[in-house]
Amino acid sequence: MAATRTAAPGDLLTQVTGERQTGALVVSGQPGGAVYVFEGRIIYAESPAAPGVGELLTSSGRLAGRTWQSALDLGTSTARVGRILVEQGHLTQGELELCVLGATYDAAYFVLSQPAATVDFLPGATHWLGAVVHIDAAAVGREVRRRVALLDDIFPNPRIDTAPVIPVTRAPRERISLTARQWELLVHADGQRTPGDLALLLGRAGYATIQELRRLAALGMIELPVVRATEAPEFVRLPQPRGAAVPVTRPPGNPPGAPVSPAPPVPAGRNPDPAPDRRRTAPPEPAHDRGRPAQPEPAQSRGPTAQPEPTQSRGPTGQPDPMPPPSPPPPGDHNTGLNRPRLARRKPGAKLPKEIAAAESPPVHQGTDEVLLKRIRTALRALR
Amino acid sequence: MPGVDHCLQEAMTIPGAVGASIVDYTTGFPVATTGAAPNSDHEAAAAGTADVVQAANSRSLFVSAIPHDLLEDLIITTAGGYHLLRIVQTEFDSRLVLYVWLDRVRGNLAVARRQMQRLADELVTT
Repeated sequence: MAATRTAAPGDLLTQVTGERQTGALVVSGQPGGAVYVFEGRIIYAESPAAPGVGELLTSSGRLAGRTWQSALDLGTSTARVGRILVEQGHLTQGELELCVLGATYDAAYFVLSQPAATVDFLPGATHWLGAVVHIDAAAVGREVRRRVALLDDIFPNPRIDTAPVIPVTRAPRERISLTARQWELLVHADGQRTPGDLALLLGRAGYATIQELRRLAALGMIELPVVRATEAPEFVRLPQPRGAAVPVTRPPGNPPGAPVSPAPPVPAGRNPDPAPDRRRTAPPEPAHDRGRPAQPEPAQSRGPTAQPEPTQSRGPTGQPDPMPPPSPPPPGDHNTGLNRPRLARRKPGAKLPKEIAAAESPPVHQGTDEVLLKRIRTALRALR
Repeated sequence: MPGVDHCLQEAMTIPGAVGASIVDYTTGFPVATTGAAPNSDHEAAAAGTADVVQAANSRSLFVSAIPHDLLEDLIITTAGGYHLLRIVQTEFDSRLVLYVWLDRVRGNLAVARRQMQRLADELVTT
């Protein structure tokens, strides 16, 4: 029977794995997700905030979207998608295992780091990927707690994990050095994308993305999220002005009438200056920024979802939310979204809508021939 | 089909191998382990491994300016043993390193390094 209750997801997980049950632990809330348990051991976890195995494999170009889709079509009903990919020679067993392990720990962080949420256990449910790996639940629990602590060591401001990423207009010092991942994030941050959006777009693990963003915040390279003055829900998401198009000397206080027209989304990778001018015109003071995170309420220090504030204040921009933005995009605009088509929420294992599966849109952040070559290579390998 | 466990079993057949693991070096977490670990603590060893890899990856001294000249191996020798780290290059996003701990007397650095190269490649190529 399904047990629904509000509890710490980790506690119920410990209970069901202790009883060697099989099923899915579904956690609602922000970001929420599910952990799949097979005979007391974790086989997979998924969360909207963390790219799943399919996203990781296709957005990196390792698998063609078509290959992934056909494996889904073949194997979803029998929960053999992972095995099919290996049997057909698209992936090695090692790659599959490593990918599933990485995605599982990544999603588990988002699902289990919430201190309390509505938790459901669906006995007997299994994941369409099939049991590729078997992970000890206690190890996952330990690792989740360790990851929470690691983030706080870097920069203790959990708002960074969910708020849209806004690079600062001016770098806080003359010389900065970034890692490749940090550069990637800054180039693709357009002032609207949340860490979850960026992780999906770039095909990077959600936790690793947050980790780099916290480091960027510590460097003073991204704006610290401010608590919204108005607690009212945001009905329309105004497009953020993009760096190159806006003079940096523009006075503060966005003229509300000016940029309302939903500008066509521009792939941020082509944008020469990714720094949008949002609420500051003066170069930010790093010392001032550093000082701010010392103030947040203690309740926030647990994780990205621990804030006890009303959920409406998050608004559509506050979370890596898979739901479409409140203003419906014009028809035909589905495939030109920020990163990928925004789909309605699907059940685990449900197929993509036909038109989207057919018109398989390439990841927007490509633009080099290298990606194309990789796809051709994957396709050729599939033919062999 | 060689999976992760098979890879680690193979790593343990390297002459002198005492322990082996695959470590996620973003978080310092061992995704798979076998055999012994320094101080009998695989998790602490993994965290240390991650620090070493991060240091080599982020300090300009070791970072090559040539494109695609990526970090391959890190080898640490102590009076009693060899610690070999081999970056596992996957096309999808993962930051993994294969770690093997060898006994100094029985281990052969060159042989071990070649074997680890083969294992890390086999893990991700068809």
